[in-house]
Amino acid sequence: MEKNIIIKVCMGTGGVASGGEEVLAKFREMITESNLNAKISSNCHAQKVGCRGFCSKDVLVDVIVDDVKTTYKHIKPDMVERIFNEHVINGVPVNEWLAGPEYNNFHDKQTKVVLSHCGDIDPEDIDSYIAVGGYNAAKKAVLEMAPEEIVNIIKNSNLRGRGGAGFPTGLKWELGLRIKSDVKYVICNGDEGDPGAFMDRSVMEGDPHSVIEGMIICAKATQSNSGYIYVRAEYPLAVKRLQMAIEQCLMKNFLGNNIFGSDFSFDLKIFQGAGAFVCGEATALMRSIEGKRGMPSPKLWRSAERGLWDKPTVLNNVETFANVPKIILNGANWYRKLGTERSGGTKVFSLSGKVRNTGLVEVPLGISLREIIYDIGGGIEGGKNFKAVQTGGPSGGCIPAELLDTEVDYESLARAGSIMGSGGMVVLDENTCMVNTAKFFLEFTQAESCGKCTPCRIGTKRMLEILERITSGKGKDGDIELLEELGNHIRATSLCGLGMTAANPVLSTLKYFRDEYIAHIKEKRCPAAVCRDLITFTIIEELCKGCGSCKRVCPADAIRGTRKSPHRIDKELCIKCGSCFDACKFKAILKV
Amino acid sequence: MEKKVKLQIDGKEVIAPEGMNLLDAGHLVDVFIPNLCYLKGMRGFGACRLCLVEVEGLKSPVIACNTKVREGMVVHTQTEKVRNIRRFILDLILSIHPLDCMTCTKAGICKLQEYAYEYELKNTSFIKKKMGYPIDQINPFIRRDPEYCILCGRCVRVCKEQGTNVLDFIGRGINAEIGTAYNKSLRESGCTFCGSCVDACPVNALPEADRWRKGREWEYTKIPSVCLFCGNGCDILISVKDGGIQKINTGEKPGSTKKYICAYGRFGYDYIEDRTRITTPLKRENDTLKETTWKEALSIIAAKLKEAGNETGFISTAGITNEDALALKRFAKNVVKTKNFDTTLSLYSDIHSMKDSQSALITNSDLIILIGLNPSQWSRVLPALDASIRKRVNRGGKLLVITSADIKIEEAATLTLKGDEITILKAIVKSLIDKGLKADIQLENAVKDAVVTEDIEKAAKLVEEAQNPVIFTSPSLFDSSANLTIIKGKVIAVGFESNSRGVALIGLTTEGKSYSDMVNKGMKVLYVIGEVPLNARPSHTDFLIVQTSHFTELAEQADIVLPSTTQYETEGTIIDYLGRLKKLNRAIDPIGTSKTHRDIFVAISKIMKSPLKKPSENEINKLIKVKPKLSFNPFIRRDGFEIAPREFIESINASVLRGRRLAWLKEAVAAIAV
Repeated sequence: MEKNIIIKVCMGTGGVASGGEEVLAKFREMITESNLNAKISSNCHAQKVGCRGFCSKDVLVDVIVDDVKTTYKHIKPDMVERIFNEHVINGVPVNEWLAGPEYNNFHDKQTKVVLSHCGDIDPEDIDSYIAVGGYNAAKKAVLEMAPEEIVNIIKNSNLRGRGGAGFPTGLKWELGLRIKSDVKYVICNGDEGDPGAFMDRSVMEGDPHSVIEGMIICAKATQSNSGYIYVRAEYPLAVKRLQMAIEQCLMKNFLGNNIFGSDFSFDLKIFQGAGAFVCGEATALMRSIEGKRGMPSPKLWRSAERGLWDKPTVLNNVETFANVPKIILNGANWYRKLGTERSGGTKVFSLSGKVRNTGLVEVPLGISLREIIYDIGGGIEGGKNFKAVQTGGPSGGCIPAELLDTEVDYESLARAGSIMGSGGMVVLDENTCMVNTAKFFLEFTQAESCGKCTPCRIGTKRMLEILERITSGKGKDGDIELLEELGNHIRATSLCGLGMTAANPVLSTLKYFRDEYIAHIKEKRCPAAVCRDLITFTIIEELCKGCGSCKRVCPADAIRGTRKSPHRIDKELCIKCGSCFDACKFKAILKV
Repeated sequence: MEKKVKLQIDGKEVIAPEGMNLLDAGHLVDVFIPNLCYLKGMRGFGACRLCLVEVEGLKSPVIACNTKVREGMVVHTQTEKVRNIRRFILDLILSIHPLDCMTCTKAGICKLQEYAYEYELKNTSFIKKKMGYPIDQINPFIRRDPEYCILCGRCVRVCKEQGTNVLDFIGRGINAEIGTAYNKSLRESGCTFCGSCVDACPVNALPEADRWRKGREWEYTKIPSVCLFCGNGCDILISVKDGGIQKINTGEKPGSTKKYICAYGRFGYDYIEDRTRITTPLKRENDTLKETTWKEALSIIAAKLKEAGNETGFISTAGITNEDALALKRFAKNVVKTKNFDTTLSLYSDIHSMKDSQSALITNSDLIILIGLNPSQWSRVLPALDASIRKRVNRGGKLLVITSADIKIEEAATLTLKGDEITILKAIVKSLIDKGLKADIQLENAVKDAVVTEDIEKAAKLVEEAQNPVIFTSPSLFDSSANLTIIKGKVIAVGFESNSRGVALIGLTTEGKSYSDMVNKGMKVLYVIGEVPLNARPSHTDFLIVQTSHFTELAEQADIVLPSTTQYETEGTIIDYLGRLKKLNRAIDPIGTSKTHRDIFVAISKIMKSPLKKPSENEINKLIKVKPKLSFNPFIRRDGFEIAPREFIESINASVLRGRRLAWLKEAVAAIAV
C-alpha cells in the first residue's frame, strides 16, 4: 500500500539556531540511505517549514503519515535515526519525544489567519505556497477586480494597520487610489524593532509569499507600479527568503511587467535598513529608502499624498499585507466577524517574559488578556503570581492584574494606558520591579531617539536620569511628580510617535504601581528585590548547612565560613550579583 | 493671482496667501512665534518644538512652522499652555548648554538667549550636564563648538540645500550631534568654508573663527555692499567697528543671490591690510620703486599722457564700478584723446552678449538651462551661481545641463546632454518646433537638419513644460542660446567679473586697439587699472602706469604705481550678471593715501587742464537703461574667448588670495588634493 509521508522541520530563525538544518539534513540522508521510496513503495520527503510560533520547543518536527500529524519537540540530529526507524519505517511514534498536549493546547486556542501557512509550507518554494491556494487572490484582484472593488472589500473587512496605530487600511488605500500621479509606491514596513517582538520576522521567514501577494493586491488597488519591502539587515533569513520569493514570482510573472498576463505591472524591491528603531516610523523609513538619514519629518501631507520621493505612497506593515490575500479569498464579512465591531480579524502577538509557553500567538481581536496569558500562554512560570503585562513594546505600557480581563483591541488597550502596538507582549511576575522595567524601556527609547526634536532627545534623558536615581536609592521627594510632568510634556511636544509614546512605560507604571515608586524613594526599598543598590543578601543561619556552594560561586570573595557550619556574607565586599542566591539549594539566602 | 485666506492670529486679522505657514503668516502682522530651527523658504523642520501654538478646534498644539493657514483659523500663540511648553523645551536645552552669555560671542544675537530672557529662565531646573565634545578650530574660518549646539539642524539644511553636503546629524539619543562624515574636522571634510552655516546658526556653535572679542553684534555699524571678486557680484553686509571690518555676512536684501557668499567674499577681506598693500604713490628711480607724493606722481603721469596722446593705452579690470568705468572712458577719450581703452571683459566676452543679456531671477525660474558653463563652489568659479542653482533644484526647480565637458553640477541636473552645445541646441529647437511651438521662419530653417534623439526629446519636453525657463550661457554661445528664447524663456550671458555687464553698457570698450593688442604689441604709455591677468611688462612699452590697491608682479615692473582703494573703501554701482543694479557703500576709510580710480582720473585731468566731472547718478542710470534686443542669429560659437575660468578668477584676485586666511585655504586644498 502506498503511504504519503512528509517530514516537516521547523526552520525559522529559532529552528535554525537550535540546529534545524542539521536535523533536516539528517532526515534527508536517512531517506536516501534507506532507499525508502523503492523499499516500501511510499512517497516520502522531508522539507523545511517556517516558524510555527513555539520556539521554546525547537527543533520541532512534524511527521505526517497519510495526513496524520505527529509533532516532536527538542529534536537533535542524533535523535533522527530513532524517529526514522521506529515512526517513519515501522509506523510507531516515539512517545517520549512527542510535543504533547501543551503544544496542542497552545495551538488549538489560536485562530490562525496570518500564520495559517507558517510552519506548514516550505517558505523557499513558491509551489508549496501555490499548493495551499497562494496567489489565487492576487490573480483574482489583478485580472477580475476593479481597484475600487478591492478597496471596498478591505474597507468592509475592518482591517486596521497592524503596525500599531490601527489606521483603517481600506481608508488608506482609498486615499492612495484617489491621488493621481505618474508614479506611486507601495511600501511594506518590515522594520520590526520592539525588543521582544518577532511577529513580522516570522511571517517574512515562514510565509514570504503572503506578504508579496498582499502587496500585489494593494498595488492593484492603488494603481501603483513600484514597491519596496523595507527589512532590517538584522533579519538575514527574512531578507534571503523574500529575495528568493521575489525571484520566483518574477519567473512565474507574478511580479514584473504585465503580471498574470494583464496590462498591470508591479515591480518590487527589497530595501535593507541598518536597524535603527526609528526607521519603523513611516517618514523616517521613507527618508532611509531615499538614502538620507532616517529621521522623522513633520507631516504636512499624508504619505498617501506625498511620501517616498514626494510621490503618493501607501505604507503598511508586514502583518497587514499578509492578511489581505485571505480577505480577498474569504470575503470581507468573514474577516470582519473574526474581530470586534471596530477592528476586524486577528492579531499576532509575540508572547514572552515570565509565561510558561512563550512564542508567537494569533488570536481574534476582542479576546481578553487573561485568555492569552493563561489559556494559551499556560499561566505564569514557576507558579508565581502575575504582576503585569507590558504590551506595545517601548511605546506601550504596563497593564496590572486587575485589568486582565481587558479586551485586546486598539481602543481598550489605549484606555488601559497602553497601546496595541505591533504585538509585543511581555508578561511580568511578582519578581519584577516595575520601576526597573520602566527604566529598561526608557533606556531603549533614549538610545534609539534620532535626536531631532528637543523633548525626545533631551527630555527622555532627563527622565531616565531620574529613574536611575530612584533605582539606586537616591530618589527625592517630588521625583514622581517631576516624572509625570516631564512625561506629559514629552508626550505633548514630541515630533513623532517614538517621542510621543516614549514616556508611556513610565506613566503607566506610575499609574498602576505608584506604591513601588514610593517604596524606592521613601523607604529606599525595592519591593521586588531587583534594584541592586536597594537590596541586601544575608544567610539565614538556621537554614545554612555549610555546604559551601555559595562560597564557591561568589566572584567577590565576600562569603566566609567553614564547612558544615553556617556561612556569613561580608556586606562590605558583596557586589549583590545574586550568584549565591541562585546557587543555594536550601533557600538559606535571604534577599531583601 | 494666488488665493488668499483670512485668519486670526492673537486677535489680529491676517490675510495670507494660501499655502503659507503660520509662522510666516504671523510675521505679516508682527506676531513673532518663537523658533530655533525654522528657515524661511524651507519646509518646516519641526525639531525645536518652540513654535507650538494653539489652534481653536484642535485638541493639541501644532507647530506653526509646518501648519498651513486655513480660512477662518483662530490661532493663539501665547496661551499659558504653549508658554509652559516653551519653558519646558528651553529648560531642557539649557540643561546641556553653556550659560556663559557674559562672555559669549553671540550674546545679543543669540536666539536661545533671547527666549531664555523672555521666558524667565535664569538657569535650568535640571542637573546641568556637559557633553565634553572637542572643538574643531584648526581652520581660520569657522570654529565648530558642539558644546553650544542645540541641534536645530539649520546648518545641516543650509549646507545640504546648496549642495555642499558637508554637515549632517550623527549619533542617536542624547549623543546625537552635528558632524561631518566620520566626524572629521571641517578641513578634512570637503568643506568649502563658504560660511553659510555661520549665518544659519542661531547660537554660538558655528561662529567665525576669529570672532571672539571682536565686538558684539550691537556694536557694529552694518553696511550693505557688493562683493566684486567674481562675476556673481554677491550682496554682502559689512560689520564695522573702530574703523575696521570685523566680519562680513551675506546681504540681507531680498533678491540677492539668495543668501550665499563664498569664502572669498566672507573671509577674504583681511587682505586689505596685507603687507602687499600700497599706501603711497611710487615712482621708478634708478631701477627701484621709491615712495613719492601724489603731486609728483600725477604730474609725471600728466606729462607722459600729454606726450603720448593717442598712443596711450588703458587696460582695466571689469571688476570696477560703473562710476569708475565712465570716468575712465571719458578720461581716455576726452582728456588723453585716445581710442585705446579696453577691459578684461574682452578676454571672455563680446559686447553684444553682455549688452543684450536679459534680466531674470533664479528663484522665479522653474527650469534652469546651463549651457557651456561650469560654475562650482569648489573651484570657486561663480560659486554663488552654483549654490543658487542647486538650491533652486532642491526647492523643486529643474536643471538642464548642456555641456561638452564633464562638470560637477551635472550631479544636480534633471537631465544632462553631453556633446557639442550648438548641435544640441539646434536639436532642442527643432524638437520644440516639431511639438508645435511657435518660432520664426529663419530659426526653423536654421535647424531643419538637426537630429532629434530620445534625450533631446526629453530636454525639449522639460522646456515645453516649464513656465519660466532661464538660460545661463557662456558668452561665446550667447547667440545660439538666445535663439531658444525666440520660442521660450530668458537668456543670460554670464561674465567672470562683477561688472562685466556694466562696463559693456557704460561703453568702456575699445574704439581702437583691443586689450590683447595693447598687451601683445605694447603701447607708448600703458595705463593699467586694477588687477589684470598680466604678470610681465609688455615689451615695447615705454612707460607703464599701474593703478591698483596691492603689489602685483606687474606693479613691481611699473614706472609709476598709484594706490587705489579696495571694494570696501569706495562707493558706486555695478550691474550684476542677472541685470540688477547694485550699490556699493563705503564701509571703511581708504588705507594710507589710496584714492578711488575716478578721483585719480579727475585729479590728473585737472593737471592736464581739461577738468573732468565725476559721473553723476543720472548719467549712469541713463547709460545702463538699455532694452536688450534679441532676434535670430546664426548658430555659431564665438572664437577668442577660451580662457580658463578658474585661473582667470584667481589671477584677477591674486592679492585677495594672498590674504592670511585664503592663503591657508589654498594650502589646505592643495594638501588634501595630494
